[in-house]
Amino acid sequence: MSRMGNAIYEINAMETLAARDQWMNHIHPLVKFILTVSYIAVVVSFPKYDLSRLLAMAVYPIAGFLLAELSFGKCLRRLRVVLPLVCVVGLANPFFDRTAVWIGNVCVRAGVISMLTLMLKGIFAVLASYLLVATTTLEQICYALQLLHLPRIIVTQILLTGRYLTLLLAEVNRTTQAYALRAPNQKGVHYKVWGSLTGQLLLRSIDRANELYESMTLRGYTGDFGYLGAHMHMRSQDLVYLVIWCAVFAVVRRVPVILWVGRFITGV
Amino acid sequence: MISIHVKDVSFSYEQGTEILKHLSFDVCKRESVGLIGANGAGKSTLLKLLVGLNPVDSGTIQIGEYSMKKQYLPQIRAKLGYVFQDSDSQLFMSTVYEDIAFAPRNYGLSPEEIDQRVDQALALTGIGHLRDRQIHRLSGGEKKLVSIATILSMMPEALLMDEPSIALDPRNRRNLIHILNTLDLPKIIASHDLDMILETCSRTILLSDGEIVCDGPTEEILRNRELLETNGLELPLCMQASGR
Repeated sequence: MSRMGNAIYEINAMETLAARDQWMNHIHPLVKFILTVSYIAVVVSFPKYDLSRLLAMAVYPIAGFLLAELSFGKCLRRLRVVLPLVCVVGLANPFFDRTAVWIGNVCVRAGVISMLTLMLKGIFAVLASYLLVATTTLEQICYALQLLHLPRIIVTQILLTGRYLTLLLAEVNRTTQAYALRAPNQKGVHYKVWGSLTGQLLLRSIDRANELYESMTLRGYTGDFGYLGAHMHMRSQDLVYLVIWCAVFAVVRRVPVILWVGRFITGV
Repeated sequence: MISIHVKDVSFSYEQGTEILKHLSFDVCKRESVGLIGANGAGKSTLLKLLVGLNPVDSGTIQIGEYSMKKQYLPQIRAKLGYVFQDSDSQLFMSTVYEDIAFAPRNYGLSPEEIDQRVDQALALTGIGHLRDRQIHRLSGGEKKLVSIATILSMMPEALLMDEPSIALDPRNRRNLIHILNTLDLPKIIASHDLDMILETCSRTILLSDGEIVCDGPTEEILRNRELLETNGLELPLCMQASGR
């Protein structure tokens, strides 16, 4: 499959995941959205040398992946471009922060600890976002944003951008396939046709977007998706799920859980 | 049920090149009209004018009690169901259910009514088994039937269809013909599939270069080899076969 074909496949696969008839997918989108934002906020709030306590925050993505029956392998494959970038963020820390820190009998630079902390923060944030997207459709996320009183025009923009992205990729795929079939000995697209190809792509995707808009207006669309999530109701179990996780975040943030577990295991 | 009146309508995308020239015709209640013509004859453009997607340059269009004016577009569009030529341009929600429920939701129906409308539309098109399927996983033929269902869920008072049999396999095409014949609505069907027009429409309008060349009983027009060939068409396949 071509790169574009892969991208379209991955987007469709994510939509399929989010639309599954699975326990986690039925949790109210607002709960999942609030949890994701809170989780990221808590993760980011950890001090830069607090690696051991931060490690305990792994409980949310791990439990989420297990509950939602998501594959870690597939997740890592899908995030293979993003995760290295996230890890690069703190790479310079060991060079600037040379303070010596003792962990047991091992001496390490404080910069290494802060680098690992930064990396973990990034990885946790990305995993939590993946968990949200894999269990919540775009419409549901937009519904949650609407409930949070984000302006409707912005919510509609997000929703349509999501839809437009697949259209644009599909057009790119079709155009590059047509090009490749008539230029079998070339690798990629020759720079001389970049201009016309981009122009064609733009015109075609505008046409397609216009037709979609026409289809929407002919079916009563007047500028906002006011009905989004009209059939979704907050259940008591959704609230329990929210409260439990918020409590877990608070405990992990305040209490050195990993240290206690370590002490309990080693007896020191 | 409504009637459609088109009087002396002309349209051009840009000045100087008229796509439709002084068209006049009426479609009465319960009438099924086939719109035929070679590529570029103006069939799709005419259908788009009827739902107000393009404004006419001159002439008048009357849909039921509403004349084609900007302030009446919501009422007109609620009465006319328009099936696009390309299903990918019509379907935009993630699942079949969501797409079919789109119009009823926009018209403010209750969840129970929406469910009922969706189920009815699915039953009419014979695609109940696709209810919770993802749109991107459907075949071309399935997408076409879903497109039709998205329109039927609006309970329109008239149907406009642009090449509805495109991308359908013989069985689904037969199913579509059955659906069209079952629906007791005025219909305008633009198509190159003259065999389907023969089976579904009692009256046919032949367009050529934006003008109405002929307007009359389908059998009469589709049997006229000379007329069809002069206007870039051929006899329907069933007639070609029987003529051999």
